[in-house]
Amino acid sequence: MAAVEPADALIIGAGASGGVVARRLAEAGFRVVCLEQGDWHDKGEFRGIHLDWELTARKQWATSPNIRGLPEDYPIVEDSPVSPLMFSGVGGSMLIFAGAWPRMLPSDFRVRSLDGVADDWPLTYDELLPYFRQTDRDFGVSGLAGDPAYPPDAEDPPLPPLPIGSAGLKVARAHTRLGWHWWPEFNSILSAPYDGRRPCVQRSTCQSGCNEGAKASTDLTHWPKAIAKGARLVTGARVRQIETNDRGLATGATWVDREENEHFEPAKVVVLAANAIGTARLLLLSADGRHPDGLANSSGLVGRRLMMHPFANVAGLFEEPLMSWQGQFGDLIESLEFYETDERRGFVRGARWGLAPTGGPINTALPSRAGTQVWGPDHHLHVRSHLGHGANWGLFAEDLPDEANHVTLSGSVTDSSGIPAPEVHYAMGDNARKMLDFHIERATESLLEAGAHSIEVDRLMRYSGWHLLGTARMGDDPETSVLDRWNRTHDVPNLYVVDGSCFVTSSGVNPTSTIVALALRAAEHMVETRFEQQVPA
Amino acid sequence: MSGRETGAPTDLTGGMPATDAAPGDTDAWAEVDPLTTVDADARRIFAAIAERLIPAAHGMPSAAEVVGEDRLRFVLRARHDLLEPFVAALRPDLGEDPEARLAILERDEPASLAALQLVLVGGYYTDKRVREGIGYPGQLAIEVRSWEVPSYLEEGLIDAVLARGQVWRDPNTGQRAIVEGRPQTYAERYWPAERRPEGGHDGRDGT
Repeated sequence: MAAVEPADALIIGAGASGGVVARRLAEAGFRVVCLEQGDWHDKGEFRGIHLDWELTARKQWATSPNIRGLPEDYPIVEDSPVSPLMFSGVGGSMLIFAGAWPRMLPSDFRVRSLDGVADDWPLTYDELLPYFRQTDRDFGVSGLAGDPAYPPDAEDPPLPPLPIGSAGLKVARAHTRLGWHWWPEFNSILSAPYDGRRPCVQRSTCQSGCNEGAKASTDLTHWPKAIAKGARLVTGARVRQIETNDRGLATGATWVDREENEHFEPAKVVVLAANAIGTARLLLLSADGRHPDGLANSSGLVGRRLMMHPFANVAGLFEEPLMSWQGQFGDLIESLEFYETDERRGFVRGARWGLAPTGGPINTALPSRAGTQVWGPDHHLHVRSHLGHGANWGLFAEDLPDEANHVTLSGSVTDSSGIPAPEVHYAMGDNARKMLDFHIERATESLLEAGAHSIEVDRLMRYSGWHLLGTARMGDDPETSVLDRWNRTHDVPNLYVVDGSCFVTSSGVNPTSTIVALALRAAEHMVETRFEQQVPA
Repeated sequence: MSGRETGAPTDLTGGMPATDAAPGDTDAWAEVDPLTTVDADARRIFAAIAERLIPAAHGMPSAAEVVGEDRLRFVLRARHDLLEPFVAALRPDLGEDPEARLAILERDEPASLAALQLVLVGGYYTDKRVREGIGYPGQLAIEVRSWEVPSYLEEGLIDAVLARGQVWRDPNTGQRAIVEGRPQTYAERYWPAERRPEGGHDGRDGT
């Protein structure tokens, strides 16, 4: 039997960053292979157009793998008040993300210099700007140009903004009276037909899959183009270990298929794109005699500095109907009024606010995020006063890196292939708690100014670990970072990490826009340096 | 005001009506009637709890009346994982008093209580009469009219944000950024003076 020709690039994970890198490398002529443990999902599978949408969103399409418990999921042992959320499949967690698409801000890259905490990034906002623009075009971003919370940009979003809804309009007027920043949200959700995809129809079921294909995910935006250029995507492929040779180079990956048959995929370059928990898990699983603490872990930081954006929800209730079960879930409007540091507040850094729809009747009738439940005759009054009458500010607090927050391997829990599950050890820091408390007070003021007659607060939502960041940070110093400024591991010159693991600090904004811009930047660098790249013989 | 924000929704659902087809309908669960596991005693206990939690009031029917075999079957087919904790919550040894049963479940078996509540609420709020009663038409497909000028622009809400100046912090100075010549209005942002049509037309009519 002939030996398998090594791929030019073997990508682990077909989600946001994996799709971006696959498309760019395939377009540049690389022979790309991707191993994805999940499967393709046709938009006809999503339940948003069915009567059982709210029922299945709590199980089959839940955002937590521990709740879904699908064979392609791996369990996560949680020592954390926040549950990590993710999805295994082509498109990855984009299939179930909300679609909000803010960029990180210039100050986010200079946290140490500006605020004396955490670390600076080895790159700047301006360096990333061309990649933000390109990924906005590739994914199809809707938004209103000119947001003064960001530096002026010569290029506008490719599509006009999505509606802000009655709730968004009420709050926008309130912020105008208060003199506070607000802006229509940037979303990777189409407001008009684009690149062969249909526009959003405001059904608000974004987080259990978009039936229109209007919400961007790489199964729609990147993989068809990558495959057309020759990329090979293998689904149902669960990677067990990254292999290395005695020259310290990665040689490929060992993986198991759905029938538990073991395979080896050889490669010249290996690219990890498995999110900040999955990637850390794989690097730790790849420990061997040469790398006893895990691959690429001479700094000891693999799996450390996990950040998840502690999240609070502030709900305002209004007398008048707002039909707030409709609208893109990826936020109607945002506010960055209190995003930048003001030390008089008693903490550093800040939080982004996103105003979101409020869900359907089952969500309304069951005990709320804030613990409210009403049964008996008044149940009907409760549902009538809440359903479609709410506006929710979601508050994403910047999570400062802390080495005590980390991912390790479980000694007792495994996935369905017998591979050790990740354990997540996480506690919210004092700075983030003070930050959320401050922002909850301000968001309450915002909704009261908008006319809310009552406010309900969830001070730290458990199922909010959408943003998995920091477990293989970038940096110029190999002693204090896992990756260099181009997402390449310091220790293994042909091993890259392109997911949110690379984040140095978390910022306070939804990270996908920045993750994919960084991934594209890394892919461009791989293309530019292809002839200098060290590869196994 | 633009119809984009407040106009009557256009139902684009068309060929994709909300249906009773459960996800399990394509697998083995479609052949199994989950109610065979829910015996007469359990159904009687369920009806008593349904009457307690969601009674007829304020013009709405009780859950005991609404959540009959069809609705139970629908929920348990969509969520067959609920069947076991649902049946556990209805077992006879917890007594006849719904109030006492709910208290025991809340204290000792919160997962069973959650399943019971979800089956009840899921059955009730997927009923057509109930949805009509609360004025909920389901998650509609509403056309996004992205060619229309948003009402917030017409109201000047964006101009008010722009007039307050930059919000971002310049990493070079650590201070709120200053941008020379920044636009003060949205018309100015899109129509710099040298390109602005004669007469000040701001070009926002979509032509």
